[in-house]
Amino acid sequence: MADLKQQIIAQLNLKDLKPEDIGDDQPLFVEGLGLDSIDALELIVLLQQEYKIKLANAEEGQDVFRSVRTMAQYIREHQPKTV
Amino acid sequence: MFIQAAAGISPQPSFGALLTEPASYAGNRLSCIEPDYSQLIDPKMIRRMSRIIKMGVAAALDCLKTSATEMPGAIITGTAYGCLADTEVFLSKMIENGEELLTPTAFIQSTHNTVGAQIALLLKCHSYNNTFVHRGFSFESALLDAVTLLQEQHASTVLVGGIDELTDTSFALLSRFGLYKKDISSSKTLYDGAAKGTIAGEGAAFFLVAAKHSGKDYAQLNGLYTFYKPRDITDIEKNIQSFLSDHAIGMDDVDLVITGQNGNVHEDAIYEQLAQTTFKGKANAVFKHLCGEYPTATSFALWLAANIIKAGVVPSCTLVNSNNKHPRRILIYNHYQNTHHALYLLSAC
Repeated sequence: MADLKQQIIAQLNLKDLKPEDIGDDQPLFVEGLGLDSIDALELIVLLQQEYKIKLANAEEGQDVFRSVRTMAQYIREHQPKTV
Repeated sequence: MFIQAAAGISPQPSFGALLTEPASYAGNRLSCIEPDYSQLIDPKMIRRMSRIIKMGVAAALDCLKTSATEMPGAIITGTAYGCLADTEVFLSKMIENGEELLTPTAFIQSTHNTVGAQIALLLKCHSYNNTFVHRGFSFESALLDAVTLLQEQHASTVLVGGIDELTDTSFALLSRFGLYKKDISSSKTLYDGAAKGTIAGEGAAFFLVAAKHSGKDYAQLNGLYTFYKPRDITDIEKNIQSFLSDHAIGMDDVDLVITGQNGNVHEDAIYEQLAQTTFKGKANAVFKHLCGEYPTATSFALWLAANIIKAGVVPSCTLVNSNNKHPRRILIYNHYQNTHHALYLLSAC
């Protein structure tokens, strides 16, 4: 999850944050990290770029991007298997 | 029209005293001296802003702060190049990622009106918001729109600015066109010799303008006039005389002429001819050794002129000829590549 936090920081240019500043279960949007809809688009790009995962249904986003833990779990479940 | 406040971010220390310790540069590229933006802009918003957006927004906010205005009646910007850095990021990603997986932030912020839009978002200003992109007339078009809004009483105050940035890519491309000098040791020597080319510059300058006198204005902007591709020097002289006549004055009534020499022997020839005719014997100040050449450099000239009238002092680093007179009326004459010619007339309030 530390790697994922680092990727989120880089993708969203959260320069003042370190991976350890983001709690595993801390909400990413609104009252947590305070991310917004443009950040959600950036996170979709991150999933595709880094993990080759295409969010099939936009409505899934709300659950997937709830926290770093939910994102990591989604990645584990959907990452293409390497041979 | 009255200039209630002027603020700029330029290759000079802009927020302090007026050019008391001017910065000089080695080589042919001048870059803005940027302030600590976290003191001016909400850190949450800074993370998405490219350099030009930060420069523009910070200059606009400082301008509003100086004039103690919370909400302008309109926001108008002028830029020739727009948000180049974000455009470069977006286009590079398109190529790198085969036109897929494009970053939304760079795309959204690559448009020319981003600075004006970001200012409006920060202020929650839902009033008139427009951006003009007309090469060397971009800033003049924005200012002309502000004049029109004020004259037609659609707004009582307008925040108007000129912004352009230089990136490594744009500098390399413009250098290939032969725009810049190849062997200049210092920006201080810009006007020495008779070589081709100029020095590259950038900047953001914002003004809060109003229809009514506030009692604490920097200066009054009496007139603005542009003309395109004049036939010859006689045509230029006629345009200048006619501009002054329209304001019922002659050159004798002008205390200081600020001109846009940029060190390019071909382009400066016009100013040199005017120095022997229309501007003969006038106190003269120049500014492009301080900000470099860029299409909206007249916004820096207007920032300088407004500050000179407010302070009552002409910075020694700008003077070519002096008559030691406290300038109460200033004429700015600039041309961009001998195509876009602009005249501004300012006076003390």
